Amino acid sequence: MSDYLSATGLEVSFGGLRALQDCSFTVERGRITCLVGPNGAGKTTIFNVITGFLRPDAGTVSFQGTPLDGMKPQAIVAAGIARTFQNLRLFVDLTALDNVVVALPSQTGEEPLAAIFRPLHVARAQTRHREEAMQILQHVGLAARAGEFVRNLSYGEQKLLTVARGLATGAELLLLDEPASGLSASALDQIMDLLRRLQTEGKTLLVVEHNTRVVQQIADEVLFLHQGHLMARGTPEQIISDPALAEIYFGGVI
Amino acid sequence: MDFWLSYATLASIYVLLGLSTNLLVGIAGIFSVSQAAVFGVGAYIVSYLLMNEVTSFLPAMLVAAVFCVLLNVLVTLPALRVSGDYFVVTSFGIQLLATAIFTNWTFGTGGANGLPGIPPADLFGKTLDSTTQMVELCVGAMILGCLAFWLIMRAPFGRLLRAIREDELAVAAAGKNVLRAKVSAAAMAGAFAGSAGGLYATFLSFIDPSSFDLDASILLLTMVVVGGARTLAGSIIGPFLLLALPQVLSLIDIPTTIAAAARQLIYGVLLIAFMLFRPQGLAGEKL
Repeated sequence: MSDYLSATGLEVSFGGLRALQDCSFTVERGRITCLVGPNGAGKTTIFNVITGFLRPDAGTVSFQGTPLDGMKPQAIVAAGIARTFQNLRLFVDLTALDNVVVALPSQTGEEPLAAIFRPLHVARAQTRHREEAMQILQHVGLAARAGEFVRNLSYGEQKLLTVARGLATGAELLLLDEPASGLSASALDQIMDLLRRLQTEGKTLLVVEHNTRVVQQIADEVLFLHQGHLMARGTPEQIISDPALAEIYFGGVI
Repeated sequence: MDFWLSYATLASIYVLLGLSTNLLVGIAGIFSVSQAAVFGVGAYIVSYLLMNEVTSFLPAMLVAAVFCVLLNVLVTLPALRVSGDYFVVTSFGIQLLATAIFTNWTFGTGGANGLPGIPPADLFGKTLDSTTQMVELCVGAMILGCLAFWLIMRAPFGRLLRAIREDELAVAAAGKNVLRAKVSAAAMAGAFAGSAGGLYATFLSFIDPSSFDLDASILLLTMVVVGGARTLAGSIIGPFLLLALPQVLSLIDIPTTIAAAARQLIYGVLLIAFMLFRPQGLAGEKL
């Protein structure tokens, strides 16, 4: 077993609330790992810690053997980890294509002086970047909507676009926060199909998901989080058939 | 004829200031009310260098631009720490501080009496002392400024700034350095404002603190709001329109004592009316 991504002893408190308590887990390369647990279990907090948006009070995260402690979000993206947000956070006044182009790494002309003094060079690079972004859109099934402003896209299309934006960074580990929530049946199939395709292309996915049907269909492994602590891990079947976990997961609802 | 030439000259200078304010406020979303202070520093630096015959015009402009780049980065650094509303207060303080220095540092700025007798601009050893030559210089500078703005905005840098304005966190999550982009925008805005200051000083041959006070900063904001935020056209239309206003007022028969007050009143009403009823300005996008 390789330690592709490993978290050890993570502690995060918000005032009196302990969001993560001695939280340790690993994610293996090339697999789809689903992070499940009741609301408030700390799933999004884990994403924030891994991607450098939140500094843990204690504990460490390593990626391919390198600790990510104290690294800024942009450095972590450069190291190969990108994320999506539950509330999407797309640039709604930009086109679908531009949302993807923005996320492509290190572009010529991101500096104002290069933009002014080497306009032709920048223009050529831009053409290349647009083609690259177009291929990513094609890949997620949004090529036909490239020129559309984000606010005119359907919710399902917007979800696909967040994945496209993550892919544009070139990251090999994608953290997806509820990619399937609130989707219609056909949009759900589309996104599950996309996630499986990404896996076959060598991406590793860590996915927060509530929908047990989705988890059963895509997950290789499930991490069950409860009160900021990893409570169980196993195959989807093992986790779903465990009555104690079902009690925690559904207990509050039923 | 002379009237139109000086109108075009002044408007060109204010277009550079409009571009500067638009970059900072409209595009980068850093709501500064102290751009006139940076404009003033540029004007005083060029005046000092030319009056004391330290350098000729172009090197003086370069010094002013570089200095204003640094100054604007320094002034906007708090904006990268405190968010929107708080920065307006900080920036307000910076403007008041600058006005106090312009007014009281008699040795450097001539104080409230201002600096008279600033030499005209020169290019390659040739003195530009006619109005026609000055209008050519300023319109030329405006065209260069507009070209630079256009190139910036169509490049990845422009797209990055627009994305930052919408959602900084998402830009950081896409692996981009938000801080660096904002500092770069502030730097560009400083270069525009500083160069405008130098042109202004050599054109009028006299400067005093009243051109660089809070009213002036608010006039710049009004120009951007009326013209239209975040577009090149807006940055051009705003200054040309608002600078025509005093001339229009002079056609109406009102006593000169209330003309200045009337002008301020109209600027204020325009600012409020546009913010309420047409936030995208005449040719822009919503601020």
